[in-house]
Amino acid sequence: MTTRSPGGPPPIEVRGVRKVFRQTTTGQSVVAIDRLDLTIAPREVVAIVGQTGCGKSTFFDLMIGLEAPSEGTLRIGDKSPHADFDYFRGKIATVFQQDRLLPWRSALDNAKLPLELIGLSEEEQRERALTWLNRLGLGAFINAYPHELSGGMRQRVAIARAFSVQPDIMLADEAFGHLDEVTAQELRDTFLALARESGSTAILITHQLEEAIGVGDRIIVFGKSAKLLADIHVAQWDKSQYGLLREAIQATLQSNSPDPRLAQS
Amino acid sequence: MSHKELGEPVASLGFPRHTLVSLLIFAAAWEVLSNLAPFLGIPPFAVPSLVRIAKAIGTITPLDVVVTLARVIAALIVSFIAGLALAMAMYRSDPLDKYLSPIIRVFVAVPVVSWILFAVLWFPGVEFRIGFVLVVVCGPVFLIDTLDAMRSVPRELRHMMRSFRPTTLQFFIKLMMPAIIPTIFTSWKVNISLAIRVVTIAELVGAVTGIGAQLSNAQQLFSVADVFAWTIVLVALLFLLEAIVSRVEHRLLRWRA
Ligand SMILES: Nc1ncnc2c1ncn2[C@@H]1O[C@H](COP(=O)(O)OP(=O)(O)OP(=O)(O)O)[C@@H](O)[C@H]1O
Ligand SMILES: [Mg+2]
Repeated sequence: MTTRSPGGPPPIEVRGVRKVFRQTTTGQSVVAIDRLDLTIAPREVVAIVGQTGCGKSTFFDLMIGLEAPSEGTLRIGDKSPHADFDYFRGKIATVFQQDRLLPWRSALDNAKLPLELIGLSEEEQRERALTWLNRLGLGAFINAYPHELSGGMRQRVAIARAFSVQPDIMLADEAFGHLDEVTAQELRDTFLALARESGSTAILITHQLEEAIGVGDRIIVFGKSAKLLADIHVAQWDKSQYGLLREAIQATLQSNSPDPRLAQS
Repeated sequence: MSHKELGEPVASLGFPRHTLVSLLIFAAAWEVLSNLAPFLGIPPFAVPSLVRIAKAIGTITPLDVVVTLARVIAALIVSFIAGLALAMAMYRSDPLDKYLSPIIRVFVAVPVVSWILFAVLWFPGVEFRIGFVLVVVCGPVFLIDTLDAMRSVPRELRHMMRSFRPTTLQFFIKLMMPAIIPTIFTSWKVNISLAIRVVTIAELVGAVTGIGAQLSNAQQLFSVADVFAWTIVLVALLFLLEAIVSRVEHRLLRWRA
């Protein structure tokens, strides 16, 4: 049994989405996302960059279905991740900034968690979780508890947990930001290779522009309230221009308006 | 178990040496006081000798111990289930939480003696009275502890769990329950000692069996040796129950460093 959609991952369509939070303490309204329009094609690998507090994680919460848009529609295929919450069980998986493993579960049992939720047989759960842990080089640590593993290894378990359901859509919210550079690089490469190989649509939030340029088919630059400042198709840029691209994105983020040098894509 | 981890010297019976030594010194002092009582103007029955206490322990009737134990365990189980169920409901529902919280705070503030008097005034059955008092005293403790523990499950873990779309039942079984198990154990230990102390007072009123009833008999006969004997049994019972809970706890919480 698999939760993978038969025709591959469906496209993601965001139309005029607004998300307003009312802060319980101050009673003030915060516009986290203001009229976002965006389409993400199946199997695309997209990097999202934007300054802190610009609504990136909120965008993920909408896509995961934990929040509903205040206005507009967000559809994955012909369904809404919020309204059709149960339908998307096993179809969307997220790797978070901290590993967020359950401390009372071994690596194996942590990787099994989403498989338990979709109701696979005990045998299948074990087999699939083992496969993914092995792929992430954790074969020798399946019985270790999180506190017995290094930060990098814990994040590997979290990645195995996310991939174990073979989701249509794989999300990563600053998943490598807290690791040292070498480990981060290694894990990012593994993550991307696995995402491409398994045919998922992958969306990564990152603060590192190098990371964004290195990973994405596409880089989306959010301004304040997730205003779409730039939508860059990396393939249109030559490798020799990456330095320029990086500077242009930097300038865009700093001025909160699209840099003219990005006009080519 | 903990004394082993602390590296304290361990004597026979699994007791740390310090415990044995302090108990022995206390017993010796007691014996001396008991022998000196006539010269100090203390009535002889007030400080019975160790031999008399030992004899009194020999006359302990197991049935009363079993009855008290059964009352305590049954009441704790009912309190635990009720407390946990209410805590889960209050965790899920804000209005329920807002309306029930004040009442629970009032419950906790009411003295045990008042509960016992209410029980006597309201209910005819002795068993029901005792059960009522125990549940009304222990239930809120379970409720408050577990609700508190559920609220302190890290936001990040709840968010992660929800991102994998569990049903409500799965959310509780796979995240909330395991997360609050350490608290549940602590709560059980607190409640066991609470229940043991409360049950004897409750049994003083109207019960014909149980340790409380026997204590009341001993008091009416001015038999300090018997009061001592029953008290020692109670304390031993408490230690035994706590040891059992600690054992299970140690087993289940092996994932902790
Ligand atoms: N549940 C919530 N209640 C109220 N305000 C919220 C809530 N979630 C997010 N916000 C607000 O929405 C805005 C966007 O937050 P979000 O977490 O999406 O930013 P972000 O781009 O992920 O930031 P970072 O890079 O720091 O992670 C912030 O101003 C934040 O305070
Ligand atoms: Mg964020």
